[in-house]
Amino acid sequence: MTVKVRFFARFRELLGTDIPAEPEEGATLLSLVRDLARKRKEGYDAIFDEHGNFHEFVIVMRNGKRVEHGDAAAVRITDGDEIAVFPPVAGG
Amino acid sequence: MIRIQTNDVDIGALIAAAKEPGTGAVVVFDGVVRDDGITEMELEAYADVAVAEMEKIAQEAASQFRLQHVDIVHRIGRLRVGENILIIVVSAGHRPEAYAGSRYIIEEIKKSVPIWKKELTKDGGRWVVGEHGHGTGTLTGRAGSRTSPEK
Repeated sequence: MTVKVRFFARFRELLGTDIPAEPEEGATLLSLVRDLARKRKEGYDAIFDEHGNFHEFVIVMRNGKRVEHGDAAAVRITDGDEIAVFPPVAGG
Repeated sequence: MIRIQTNDVDIGALIAAAKEPGTGAVVVFDGVVRDDGITEMELEAYADVAVAEMEKIAQEAASQFRLQHVDIVHRIGRLRVGENILIIVVSAGHRPEAYAGSRYIIEEIKKSVPIWKKELTKDGGRWVVGEHGHGTGTLTGRAGSRTSPEK
């Protein structure tokens, strides 16, 4: 199974973006992002709190659709998924 | 025309294209890079999602305010002070609808479209903090924009 994880803005600077990943069967959105973010403590701390939950302000999408934080541990990753993780938007 | 692009846009051409039979007002919003002691501004977007969100906003504005024509062009990349960031051109039969529709579009963009700005200074840079915190806009609110855990 191959998926792509995209971080944006400050998260991109800390962790990179368009990261290909090959999560194990049964991986969830939360576990996938945690595993990738652990490669750099500053990046992990920017996205997760001390309990390993997404900070309240973090926005997570799967295939262009918002995933609520409370669902992230239950959403199973499937082949070809595109996961996006980003801070609050600031366009305009 | 709903686009995210690096190049600037010919606002005069957009105004001309916005005039249709029955048009009584064209309103242009032009957001520019303000000189807040910065050297440049760098913008990035989650482009596919950003365009889709702007298309939804344009459709909602057209419906709600009876707009005849809507263009939204949001630039990304490095921009200098004074350069255009965001151009919104709307037309309507009368000015109240055109003003209100334009205002609606810019406020919704700020709430929900995944675009970020970094102000570059001589000492480095700083990310602009979004006005709406935890994605209070259409990233959460529009129909069909959520996904549910698989059963």
